[in-house]
Amino acid sequence: MSLEFDVIGAGIATTGIPDWEAFLAVLGGQPLVEDRKAPPSALLSPRERRRAPRAAKLSFAAAEQACAMAGLEPSEPIAVFSSGMGDLDITDYMCRTLKDAPELLSPTRFHNSVHNAASGYWSIGAGATGDVTAISGWRDSAATGLLEALSRLGETEQPILLAVYDDLAQGPMRALWPTEHAFSGAIVVTRPGSPKAIARLSAKTIRAREDCADLPAVLAERIPDNPAARLLPLLAQVAGHGQTITVGAEQGPGLQISARPA
Amino acid sequence: MTLTCAAGTGLPAVRSALAAGRSGLRANDFPHCELDTWIGRVDGVEDTVLAGDLAEFDCRNNRLALLGLEQDDFIGQVEALKSRVAADRIACVIGTSTAGIGVTEAAYREMGEDEVFQARHRLPRVHTPHTSAAFTARVLGLDGPVLTISTACSSSAKVFASAARLIEAGLADAAVVGGVDSLCLSVLYGFHSLDLVSDQPCRPFDRARKGLSLGEAAGFAIVEKQGAGFGRLLGWGESSDAHHMASPHPEGAGAAAAMAEALTRARLSPADIGYINCHGTATSLNDEVEARAIASVFERPPAAASTKGWTGHTLGAAGIAESVFSLLALDDEFLPAGLNLDDPESDFILTESRHEKVDAVLSNSFGFGGSNCSLIFGRVSS
Repeated sequence: MSLEFDVIGAGIATTGIPDWEAFLAVLGGQPLVEDRKAPPSALLSPRERRRAPRAAKLSFAAAEQACAMAGLEPSEPIAVFSSGMGDLDITDYMCRTLKDAPELLSPTRFHNSVHNAASGYWSIGAGATGDVTAISGWRDSAATGLLEALSRLGETEQPILLAVYDDLAQGPMRALWPTEHAFSGAIVVTRPGSPKAIARLSAKTIRAREDCADLPAVLAERIPDNPAARLLPLLAQVAGHGQTITVGAEQGPGLQISARPA
Repeated sequence: MTLTCAAGTGLPAVRSALAAGRSGLRANDFPHCELDTWIGRVDGVEDTVLAGDLAEFDCRNNRLALLGLEQDDFIGQVEALKSRVAADRIACVIGTSTAGIGVTEAAYREMGEDEVFQARHRLPRVHTPHTSAAFTARVLGLDGPVLTISTACSSSAKVFASAARLIEAGLADAAVVGGVDSLCLSVLYGFHSLDLVSDQPCRPFDRARKGLSLGEAAGFAIVEKQGAGFGRLLGWGESSDAHHMASPHPEGAGAAAAMAEALTRARLSPADIGYINCHGTATSLNDEVEARAIASVFERPPAAASTKGWTGHTLGAAGIAESVFSLLALDDEFLPAGLNLDDPESDFILTESRHEKVDAVLSNSFGFGGSNCSLIFGRVSS
């Protein structure tokens, strides 16, 4: 069986690709752009920006683009935040402090250490009172995020925001999570038939470990670098590159996603 | 279904502790932790061995998961399920907050000046929030969608909603859901830093409560569209406070919205609910706000209690632990009152356990980030 859905917004933020416009240029064969500082999140007040963990800033960078493209306030969609490792910066802080001086653990850093810190800050910043959830699939977090997001289309007519992100590891964890480029990608999906659709797609589960898309080399090499970048084939498809792509999974099903005939 | 927590390893032990009012809390004896508090520590976790190809998952969370899976013939029940439903159509949805962080803590503690983890800690499948979902699917031989929900203390309540959606969407035909959270320094010192940990056994909904007792648990259940089980999942509600990372909305607006959505989805009125298993952490703020939220949804609230006096607050496993308690309440026709309760916060808080047949039970789970989930379980019609 297949699940039909429309994509009404998308966003991306990673080294050399700060936004959707830069992504389109790279897809079109242009080189990566020099890193320019991403604009500060519109969702977080200056005070919240100081408190917000890296995972929030990373994921918001793509999620805010996707909502803007969809013409939605960030409070409107149901939101699914998917990340394999969560906030590795705070993991490093927590473990060092627990080793050296556990009584000095920062309460703010502790409550920011939960895997749903990014989604929590999103809900607070956006004023989103609907469901905002946080999931993980380790290296399969793009596929599991898609499964969770698409499974919601039967339950609600609201749009669903999916943000997939993973950061670099700090300190000794780099040996176990050797990612060099942080990555954050987001899409907003709805039931089929949206007047705002930028892509009309159909997904079915497939047993595929490997991802499949025809991407320029500078994009393709991000996928083995950072598992969150396994969302790239779908983002490229939303941008009009590829009739059928695969978001693979190492454990459980991946998804084969095709453009629906007009 | 099955549950392993401080109150007991497996359902017969848990039932016996519930009936006897016997708490599983003990004075803190967790290694490397000097805090003066009480904990719901599960016996036998250290002696559980992850052998063969499971060794790459070795951490306290997954030892506790395996100990839990081995109770109540749960593995046999999953084998029976696999004889009816293909393994690639069975999802595995597990909630956790701590996951394998205990090993990450140990790896930092025991690494040398070179800042390289000792070989026994170089376990990529452990240092991720996803470790226990991946482990559970591996142990049970499940090959459908494998998903971790990690929304702090609502995590393993939300697994029921996710599993139901995966099945409704045709992405699976059945699911194993569960939650696993284990004691670790991050949560012991973390909740201590927020001044939320009591130096006594926790006293949910008592006006003299002084904070929570931390605990650990592993629980699992099978979700199928049709089945003759302990109960039926009638409804769920999921909401966000949009207020603060670590404090509930002062009026309990998000909690009330989750309960109301669960009632709507279940097509039930408040009067249909016979018992509420509260989140009831025994922090000053949670219990006050939760009681207010219940009173705002239920004109005449049913008997309500928190079972955390038996288990401690098991965080990412609280949702599944309390779902199991809710299903036992339906099945055993026994509504447990809270422990250590002398002066209840509200008049609907149950002070004496009672034998009563009820048709529907609501279970609340609320977490950091303002993540709320309410579940309604109903009696299987006989």
